[in-house]
Amino acid sequence: MPREAEPSLNERAFVVQALQEGLRLDGRAFDQFRGLDLKFGDHYGVADVTLGKTRVLANVSAEVTAPYIDRPFDGIFTITTELSPMASPAFEVNRPTETEVLLSRLLEKTVRRSNALDTESLCLIAGQKCWSIRVDLHVLSHDGNLIDGSCLAVVAALRHFRRPDTSIEGETLTVYTPAEREPVPLSWLHSPFCITFSFYGEEGEIMLLDATLLEEQLRVSSCIISLNKHGEICQIAKLGGTPVEAVSLIQCASAALTKGKELSTLLDQKLAEDSKRRDKGGLLAELSAENER
Amino acid sequence: MAQQTERIFVLPGDQINPSVIPSHPKRPLKLGPGLRHIPPSELLPTVAGQLVTDYKKNSIWVEYNGGRYIPAVGDLVIGTVARSVVDYYYVTLSDYTSNAALPQLAFEMATKKTRPQLNPGALVYARVTLANRHMDPELECVSATSGKAEGLGPLNGGMLYDISLGMARRLLMRKSVEEGKVVVLEELGSAGLAFETAVGRNGKMWVNSESTKTVLLVGRAVQETDEKNLDAEQQKKLVRKLVKEMS
Amino acid sequence: MPLDTSTYDLALLRVDGRRWNELRRLDGQIRTQAAADGSSYLEMGNTKVMCVVSGPSEDKRRGQTSASTATGSNAADVAVSVVVAGFSSVDRKKRGRGDKRIQELQTTISKALASNLHTHLYPRSTISISLNVLSQDGSLLAALINASTLALIDAGIPMTDYLVACTAGSTSSYAANDDRADPLVDLNNQEEQELPFLTMATLGATDKVAVLVCESRVQVSRLEGMMAAAADACKGVRDFLDQVIREKGHKMVTEGTIEKGASMAIEIDA
Repeated sequence: MPREAEPSLNERAFVVQALQEGLRLDGRAFDQFRGLDLKFGDHYGVADVTLGKTRVLANVSAEVTAPYIDRPFDGIFTITTELSPMASPAFEVNRPTETEVLLSRLLEKTVRRSNALDTESLCLIAGQKCWSIRVDLHVLSHDGNLIDGSCLAVVAALRHFRRPDTSIEGETLTVYTPAEREPVPLSWLHSPFCITFSFYGEEGEIMLLDATLLEEQLRVSSCIISLNKHGEICQIAKLGGTPVEAVSLIQCASAALTKGKELSTLLDQKLAEDSKRRDKGGLLAELSAENER
Repeated sequence: MAQQTERIFVLPGDQINPSVIPSHPKRPLKLGPGLRHIPPSELLPTVAGQLVTDYKKNSIWVEYNGGRYIPAVGDLVIGTVARSVVDYYYVTLSDYTSNAALPQLAFEMATKKTRPQLNPGALVYARVTLANRHMDPELECVSATSGKAEGLGPLNGGMLYDISLGMARRLLMRKSVEEGKVVVLEELGSAGLAFETAVGRNGKMWVNSESTKTVLLVGRAVQETDEKNLDAEQQKKLVRKLVKEMS
Repeated sequence: MPLDTSTYDLALLRVDGRRWNELRRLDGQIRTQAAADGSSYLEMGNTKVMCVVSGPSEDKRRGQTSASTATGSNAADVAVSVVVAGFSSVDRKKRGRGDKRIQELQTTISKALASNLHTHLYPRSTISISLNVLSQDGSLLAALINASTLALIDAGIPMTDYLVACTAGSTSSYAANDDRADPLVDLNNQEEQELPFLTMATLGATDKVAVLVCESRVQVSRLEGMMAAAADACKGVRDFLDQVIREKGHKMVTEGTIEKGASMAIEIDA
């Protein structure tokens, strides 16, 4: 199994030295993100997030299936992550690395367990038919901070997604094509965002946001906080690593809140831009046509 | 006599016009990277890029940017020591490729008793001495003829930057300013910064200086020049901007 | 099954009759397995775990190909495997080897211990820790961490300090934003289902946090109180672990069971 290429001793020493002098390799401030870009695809439910040289793509699809027997009133919601060798030669297909397991667990906890998507709304006929919403996450290029990027992509894709409209008359369930009825958005409760903190130094006293791959390899420990703009923590994961003072973790939480709000605003803005772009020929044109008659 | 090197774009497997191939009366024809000789007298490009000929040296090669580094004899490279075994260090030249072997005695003044001790992860500046297909390459840190290091050996301190293969080659040109169109290092030097660099053909650049800031600045300047493909004028502008930011 | 937390306000007693800062009954033993290098058994209330440590032993797999030793880190690997017994919880559930939740637990424990243990003393070797969960009743990760600390001490592997863990929760669910929400420590399964909680591992009696895992929705403002409660509880757990070790040591000295070789089990290279 190919291992991740490890940085040399010189790089290790230099990066830590530079951080102690308050400098980052790419000249960013410690709490500054790299250039973040979010694009939506032509279809509903495709989000492409670029964070510096890291790039992730999330795609949402929906189909009608039978619900799980033990949960007849809930729809099915799954997130699958794929870290292919395209992102880094250290990843192999069908053999999940530790990075992949932690990433999918984290998305699961952040988005699924925090009830960001109302799964009860996906139920069509209790115990018989429900929507199965599936998010496929592909990492196209890996230059650190996969988690923040992936989480944003998943949330953005889900909020962008529209599922076909349905109606029930008696026992018959009708699924309408987009031409018949405008597809409907998912019933979305809140948008969580992941913020990853990387710690450096003997005592973990230096704290970085949005670490690059090299910085990630050299950190002594990390802490991932997921929260929404209402200040609700959905998940905290500081999985081992050098112990960090409790006080600085609380500082992280408040820093994460500020950052989470920023991301939330960005996402809202991008979604609004996208719907504006789509509306040009769509609903507005339709409405005006009706008025003419 | 055509002094100026001519540039023709070639694709792998293209026919090369025989009139382009330099023919020196005495010297043998030298083939550079990206070309394959099929005896008796056919030359085939193996990569896409610009075909460059030098009539003076009677040599021909294909210039291309990107791809994985393939070692060639005589190349100067920066490697990371992966591990050491009896008499050899195994050195990584690029990620996810097989290691190159560096004999522990191939250092200046090295004897059985006084050979340098390198830990895994240490950087070395070395020359490729053996490069065959399907074989691990071999390196040396000493000139076999003079027994002098000639600048090769372990690199202490500093920072290693990844650059594209094309950029590394441009930086290593004897007249990097005229031919390679890289003025960024000269500009940085004339801006009053003191630093030293070593460029490896395998797409690595090592920068060292007394001040951390200078190292960061040099690294960023070169990487930006490389990524954005800046011309000489833009490079000068970039350097001025970065120096201003720093102070 | 919703838990009636409303009675808490009246009597300030939890469902099992504990006060907010009270730990459940702790019971620990070390050197339970004669064949292992180090072993322990720990009960935190009805959560029961066993831990067996073997090593540090030279790794045979690590030949030419592999190696985190290849560059940089010349330290021992900490390999953790967690096995959850099928009979450990109320409903019998089969958990496969590839269960991501278990894998996450393993990674967490391994990383937390690796930074606490002096692994650099054992280059090119592996310390393998196998944990068995016999009964689950909340605070599983905390119990696993505490049990591994005990077993590692039994194995005589040098470490910085005790790595101790405990859970802390907060009364009232995330939706209610009342200020009077009290923190609770050492939650049982019923409380874990109902309340937001976090697991925190600290280094001995300090406030240095090695592990902090929270999987439920909770207000940011609640975090500080919960962490403070957890830190206090960790100190209590530390005292308990210390007591277990000292008692065992005392017993071994008085019974004369310390053989000549036993005290020389580890030789730290000078």
